[in-house]
Amino acid sequence: MAQSGDQVVDQIAQLNAARNLVLGDAAFYPQIVNGVLPIIGAHARVELRRWGSEFLAETFASPAFATTQKEQLAINVLQTVRNILELPEGDQLVLQNIAQTAASLYPLVFRHIINHPEDKQSWEHIEAIKQDILRRWDSFPCPVKVCCIKFAQRVVLAQTHGPIADPRRPDKNETSLAILPRNHAILSLPNLEAESSGLLDRILSVFHEDASDPILVNATLNCLATLVRTRQSVGNKIINAILNFFPARHARSPVTPAVRIGVKSMERTARAVFINIMKRNPSHPLAGKMQQHIERLMQSRIGHVDDTSRKRGLPTEPTDGLDAAKRARLDAETPPIIKVPPLPSGRISFAQLFTLTEDSGLSSFDVKQLPPDLVVKIAVPLLARVDQSLLSQAVDAIRMRYETVQKQQMAQPQPAAEEEDDDYEPEYQPMDVPGSAANEAGAVSAALQEEQPDLVSLGPFVLPRPPPLSEEQAAEAGRGAVARVFGMLGSTTLAPNLVKGQGQLGFSRLAGSTFDRDAWVTLLTRLATRAPAGLEGPKLEADYAGRRKPTISDTIRESLYRYILEDFRGRVNVGIMWLNEEWYNDRLQMKVASSNRAEDDEEVSVPLHYDHWVLRLLDGFLPYLDSRDTKIFIRFLSEIPEVTISIAKRITSLAKDPERVNLCVQSFMYLVMFRPPAREICLNALEEVYLTYEESRPSAGKVLSRWRPQRVEQLQAEQTTLVTRTVDSQTPSSTVTNGSRDPRTAHAAAY
Amino acid sequence: MPYDPRLAGAGTAAQGSPAPPPPPSEAAAATVAAQSSTEQTASHKLRFCTVCASNQNRSMEAHLRLSTAESPFPVISFGTGSLVRLPGPSITQPNVYNFNSTSYSQMYDELLSKDERLYRNNGILNMLDRNRNVKWGPERFQDWVPGLPRVDHVSKGDKGALGTEGGVVDVIITCEERCWDAVVDDLMNKGSTLNKPVHVFNVDIKDNHEEALVGGKAILELATRLNEVAIQEQTALGAGGWENGTGDARRSFDEKVPEVLGSWQEKWPNLPALWTLAWL
Repeated sequence: MAQSGDQVVDQIAQLNAARNLVLGDAAFYPQIVNGVLPIIGAHARVELRRWGSEFLAETFASPAFATTQKEQLAINVLQTVRNILELPEGDQLVLQNIAQTAASLYPLVFRHIINHPEDKQSWEHIEAIKQDILRRWDSFPCPVKVCCIKFAQRVVLAQTHGPIADPRRPDKNETSLAILPRNHAILSLPNLEAESSGLLDRILSVFHEDASDPILVNATLNCLATLVRTRQSVGNKIINAILNFFPARHARSPVTPAVRIGVKSMERTARAVFINIMKRNPSHPLAGKMQQHIERLMQSRIGHVDDTSRKRGLPTEPTDGLDAAKRARLDAETPPIIKVPPLPSGRISFAQLFTLTEDSGLSSFDVKQLPPDLVVKIAVPLLARVDQSLLSQAVDAIRMRYETVQKQQMAQPQPAAEEEDDDYEPEYQPMDVPGSAANEAGAVSAALQEEQPDLVSLGPFVLPRPPPLSEEQAAEAGRGAVARVFGMLGSTTLAPNLVKGQGQLGFSRLAGSTFDRDAWVTLLTRLATRAPAGLEGPKLEADYAGRRKPTISDTIRESLYRYILEDFRGRVNVGIMWLNEEWYNDRLQMKVASSNRAEDDEEVSVPLHYDHWVLRLLDGFLPYLDSRDTKIFIRFLSEIPEVTISIAKRITSLAKDPERVNLCVQSFMYLVMFRPPAREICLNALEEVYLTYEESRPSAGKVLSRWRPQRVEQLQAEQTTLVTRTVDSQTPSSTVTNGSRDPRTAHAAAY
Repeated sequence: MPYDPRLAGAGTAAQGSPAPPPPPSEAAAATVAAQSSTEQTASHKLRFCTVCASNQNRSMEAHLRLSTAESPFPVISFGTGSLVRLPGPSITQPNVYNFNSTSYSQMYDELLSKDERLYRNNGILNMLDRNRNVKWGPERFQDWVPGLPRVDHVSKGDKGALGTEGGVVDVIITCEERCWDAVVDDLMNKGSTLNKPVHVFNVDIKDNHEEALVGGKAILELATRLNEVAIQEQTALGAGGWENGTGDARRSFDEKVPEVLGSWQEKWPNLPALWTLAWL
């Protein structure tokens, strides 16, 4: 039974009637859609399929049809849509409609699956539809490709994190990954996210192609604004992709009208996207770049393509004749035009140059006769009331006069100029300035009689060098500068250095090159230690003999010392850095001195700073050290360049406080374990602690028993007798410390 | 309940329609398809939308031209301004009306009673009289919900309403760059929920009666050229025809749009044109 053409026409007429019905009342959609599905399916004739796919596209796009109902209906049509899509024939119109339908269906089904994880069948259908469209995207004819772009945009929109409008009402929220539970049975969040990310790249790839089709580019651009607006996570990626896109580059060599229209349209659409984004979010971090890009696009288009059809000039009348704001205001009062008398011929004075009035009485009036306060009283209200246009006219007139005079003088040879230059007195005497200013009219005009030719062409003015600073002044200025740098270190404006950034620099970093807080500290420590090296040696001797005046480097050291003590826990690294610099400098000084000695063959003493300052710093913060500061203290001890006997003594003193005994023992233990050069010193000190402070015995005993097992036994043996012979026990212990002097000094020399 | 009678008829029609018949024999199908497709494609019409600032002069002239052409196009029209502004007795006293709620007839009556001589001489009454015969009143583009059915406009007898019942158009033509910008921007704001592509053109027309007449003519020509290309595509696609076509015939309507506009622009160099492909 062949279906006649009449039958098809009849059927389509009936279907159109059904469509009119649902257009009148959307409540009939479920009934009608379910009714027509068998007629328009994959087995139907192409005309019916075209009609049906268009109807489905319209149905699932219709704003009149409620979303919840659409969602239910969407499940029913999936099978049909899939079958039509998978037909080998591939009618372009049907495919266009199917791609549009799929774009509308995708978020609906996605939401359905989120709420119904058990409906594997539907997910399978929509996945098949999606994969089929994405696979055939590039081979589709152009109009279908356009619809594929939109489909991909819908998928990205659904599979990225969107805003949560109201967490209490999940049904009100937009369909996005944000409403997908992490433990969903079918949908895996990372997979969906990865897929959408790849899909977005594919959408944006149109901007990287060499010869982009304006249709595809415009279709892409126009659907990106929504993504940028509602999906923050991908917004910047999209904007950057558009920023790197220059439509003018796509102008192929024969610039036909069609090419010109294509380039112009891409440029204008990109502009529209940026304007749309910036309007919604004027403080967008990329707003400046977008603005620049818009301007660049305009320029490049005018340069490349748009040589023939430049913009029209201003229309002869306003484009919107009804808009009052656009009409030029013609009723504004024009200010009276002032009359500018011509300048007298020949040489003129400044007074003449600036005189605009022709009243001889007024121009000869000497203002200097008036007391200054009276002049102020008159001038201020006068200036406040002066007519803006009159003032600008007058200024313009004077400027004109000045320029003509200047031109005349440039034309004339200036015989007097050289003489004047020779006589030029470079001594700058500021006291003269107010006087000459006060003289103004009269005196200037008198003086002008002689200096006329030099009126405009003054020679270059060289500021005289300041007198040399005295030593005190220089030191004072130096201290001031140091104080300023410390003030800056203390202030919060200087960003704390980023640990991450430093880590990246690694060994290749250059001290003081990052311009953060650390850089300034480095600068200060080196200024204190290295800068005056070799200069202060002999002077120090003189200082010891005579008055003791702090040098600049000592000022910095003092300041550093205070700076560290202000917050030694936070600034212990500054201290370590500083002490290392001191130590290093001491070594260098000693080396230089020894090489000098070889030549001169006489005793040279080098001022050494490390020992002095390390002890001072320790003495400074030891009293404040807490039993919880173990880490900071051990770090300090481990990173300073040299541990001496005096330092060990300072550590020993910690044990006086029963609360800090552990801190003391742990510090020693660390040094013994990880600082072999200082091991002997520390073990000796620890023995002393063990003997002197009873609280330390359990912990100190453990350390000693590991490192000096024989001594511990000996000491323990002594302790048993200690009960009876308290007084005698002091003697051997002191001999022990004395006895161990030699190895200590040996170590210090070897270090 | 104006739809009840149709409901009964249509409902049975849909449900009573026979199950998918077996595919007809190849030969019969080919001839039948050829017949039906030529019938269909000859009547194929792009749906248009014209836009200016106040939906009074330029967009309405174009609306009238398109809807009363020899073979009339489905057409709707809008304004992008915030209010409908008509010239008043002086430049500072325009007559201002709200979009969507004031009919052209109301405006006509009001201005007629205010100062008939003035509004007759400046052509406003003439324009409003033309407009009220085209459709009920000015509509604002930003308030338009694409896809929302417009069946009531058909029953009201708006010109060009036939074919736009679905509330969807294929082509939007604005009459000023400002309006083109507003339309493209507003379509982005609407979020393109329909997933349907739409070509947005601008044809720059000065806002006076004479230019509007010239512009209307030009827009009709552009529409006709576009529709010809669309019909070519339909014919080529008609039941396997696409496979037989070669070269230029195979290229789709969308692909030809820039060329159509380019050749149109050469004929109308004084109406600078602009185009993009946006989404409804």
